[in-house]
Amino acid sequence: MNDARTTSTVSARSFAAGQQFVTGVKIYWHRSLYPALREEYAQRARADGRPVESVADVRRLLEDSTLYRYFGWCERHMQRLKYSGRYGLVPWFARQREAAERALDASKRAELDPALEMPRYYVNCDIHQHPGGVWSDPVAGLVYERAARTTAPLSGARYADLHDRFTDLVGERGWRPERILDMGCGFGGSTRPFAEQFPEASVDAIDLAAPCLQVAASRDGGRTRYRQMDAARTDYPDAHFDLVTSTMLLHEMPPPVVEKTVSEAARVLQPGGRMIHLDFYHFRDPFQRFIHYTHGRRNNEPYMEPFAEMDLPGLLTRLGFKDIRIEPFAEQEGTLAADYPAWRYPWTVISAERA
Amino acid sequence: MHSPAPNAARDFKPQPEQTFFPDVALDRALGVVMALATEVYVLRDRQFALERQLARRGVLDLPQLEAEPTSEELAASSADRDAFVAHLMSSVLGVQASKGPTE
Repeated sequence: MNDARTTSTVSARSFAAGQQFVTGVKIYWHRSLYPALREEYAQRARADGRPVESVADVRRLLEDSTLYRYFGWCERHMQRLKYSGRYGLVPWFARQREAAERALDASKRAELDPALEMPRYYVNCDIHQHPGGVWSDPVAGLVYERAARTTAPLSGARYADLHDRFTDLVGERGWRPERILDMGCGFGGSTRPFAEQFPEASVDAIDLAAPCLQVAASRDGGRTRYRQMDAARTDYPDAHFDLVTSTMLLHEMPPPVVEKTVSEAARVLQPGGRMIHLDFYHFRDPFQRFIHYTHGRRNNEPYMEPFAEMDLPGLLTRLGFKDIRIEPFAEQEGTLAADYPAWRYPWTVISAERA
Repeated sequence: MHSPAPNAARDFKPQPEQTFFPDVALDRALGVVMALATEVYVLRDRQFALERQLARRGVLDLPQLEAEPTSEELAASSADRDAFVAHLMSSVLGVQASKGPTE
């Protein structure tokens, strides 16, 4: 029998099954462990009797909870198993390297800047527990694109709706941008819906990660320019855009870089131009805040907490923005309901007008 | 083209993993359990796929495979079951298998 397999071979089917298992445990974590933890927290808070006002109060109530320990372990390690180990995304794409790179459309290339130095904060931590980060390996963009399918596993295929709902919201506000800048565009998941929503607009999308930009350019059928650039220091002239946006970018940056990035947005916006970011900032209660801060630690996103602690209205006011709005965002129908039971990100829309 | 493995290109120094339980042994043992559970799921997936293919080709009688075993089959497999369980559970007794120091 001609069997080319070796003991170290993982077939596409086995890789998919391993990933399915990880996703299944994550779904259980979202739907079952999280509500159980929330209930245990509520019981402990009632028994304790003191008001719960801060993250430290929630931590005190949960620090010896066995359920919380399993909750934390599963969050940390199922994400590790998603990316690393025998059925992990990184080893899989490393083995498929040549085929994966060939699958990208070589006729569409992003505009890369080989001289661009990656900021220290960016290379010092492998965000999302993605070994090597989204920037250091040529296939990292493909890894990230595949990983994003299960970032919010309860959404399933509807995860794409998140971006569409966000661009719909921009449309509903009556904004008709002509020149759009998407900061931290990644593999283009946020950019394409903007280009579709505003077919007459020119769209520029920038990111630090060359591997992500190559995927974005390859997947894009249209007019968008994908450029390798630091959002905190772009080469665009003053007042060049009338809409600057980002999706899930700001919480990955240390506060001084957030400040520079928002300040850069102000510089490249025309007076009257708008800025709109989809990120994590608005919390229903201290429990959700605690869960989010500890998620940042467990998911290797060290700036989630500092970002959520920033005085954004104060910063935007200082930078000369007006009509500053910070509002919770429903990534799916019904997720803002008080009795929505499952774990979710604290999605928030942060928008303002350049004075 | 083969790039260096992720993290090999940088000064990657492994750090101790986060822990969640009072005894780190539990953190690590749970990792072993989860790795085994993944393998079980991968095997199940492969076995079901194999069964479906064989049934489609008429090699396998799927209803018979899924039916409760007959008493003859159970009798034939009971010794194997007992040996399996004994092997699995014998560590619980905490008894030496060979003569030597007890601690």
